[in-house]
Amino acid sequence: MSHFNDYEADQSRLYNIGHVEDINSEKSKAKVRGIWKITAILTVITIIEVALGLSLADKMGDYRWVLNLAFIILTIAKALFIVSNFMHLGDENKGMKLMIYVPLTLFIWFIIAFLADGSWWLEISQALGYSHPS
Amino acid sequence: MSTAAVANKKTKWMGGESPFDISYGKMMMWFFLMSDAFTFGAFLISYGTIRFSSPLWPDPNSVFRAFPGGFENAPLMFVSLMTFILIVSSVTMVLAVHSGHCRDKRGVVKWMLWTILGGIAFLSCQAWEWVHLHHEGAWVGAFRDGMNMEHLPNFFSENVDAETLRLYGADAAHKFFNFFFAITGFHGFHVLSGVIFNIMILVFTMNGVFDRKGHYEWVEKCGLYWHFVDLVWVFVFTCFYLL
Repeated sequence: MSHFNDYEADQSRLYNIGHVEDINSEKSKAKVRGIWKITAILTVITIIEVALGLSLADKMGDYRWVLNLAFIILTIAKALFIVSNFMHLGDENKGMKLMIYVPLTLFIWFIIAFLADGSWWLEISQALGYSHPS
Repeated sequence: MSTAAVANKKTKWMGGESPFDISYGKMMMWFFLMSDAFTFGAFLISYGTIRFSSPLWPDPNSVFRAFPGGFENAPLMFVSLMTFILIVSSVTMVLAVHSGHCRDKRGVVKWMLWTILGGIAFLSCQAWEWVHLHHEGAWVGAFRDGMNMEHLPNFFSENVDAETLRLYGADAAHKFFNFFFAITGFHGFHVLSGVIFNIMILVFTMNGVFDRKGHYEWVEKCGLYWHFVDLVWVFVFTCFYLL
């Protein structure tokens, strides 16, 4: 392990070869409890989403977008829990976190722009008589 | 390199160490996941665009009503089960990675086995869903030439009037199922490759490869991939079954 690639250098420090936690220690058990706690949160959020989907899907009328916004917020919450806790991004260096989270904000523009485009296509289609309001 | 020796090394960007305190392999996995996130994102957003541009669209509560065992009126129940299975397999993967950090080989083997089982269970459920939908006439390219249209009204909400259904139903169902099978198929392919990677990691663990290396980072990298697969499913579930 004495000679390293000129670019990569000695990365053994990053692999935690040094201090190892015992699986039976209190620290380890606390971490495992935390993992199951996050699991419970994710399950509850999913149950809420399904319950909303089943009960309110047909009943919102013009305010369907409120329900959709609720779904999107709950889904993004689940995504943040998974990325931060299960993928351990929450434990990483600040630069690493930024490198992942900042480009993903492109999705905000991406989603709004394309869904707005889609709605506009429908509007034009209806205005030109190709589709009728359903 | 005399300037480097003289300069005060204030930043992590002077070479010789990882600026983000992360190993090369893990960082590359994150880069790959970012690219894959945009690929799936593009598919799902294009689905949303086509859906918003359609005067009529199938109702998920009507399309996805079946449950194995002959149940025909359990809307969203089967997909909830699939979501639960995949989330739990993600949890067992986290526990495998944790066991790896603690160099607990038996723990890694145990949790990897559960993860692989969860992945295979998910794939089986997805296969059942596909076969069931196919029996109702839904497939890639379906509802185009007037064939197999008997089940078409079942895919839409009861509130839709017959005239709207006649004008737009077949086209809407055609687009819906093209997207559905393409996106869930692409996702299923990721699950399959994830299961294969997990089996490889399990075999390596059992053979003591990681004990010899001194670290279980491969388990962690496969864990990242598996969590990504779960994450994509969370979004696919929301887009197709809820929104």
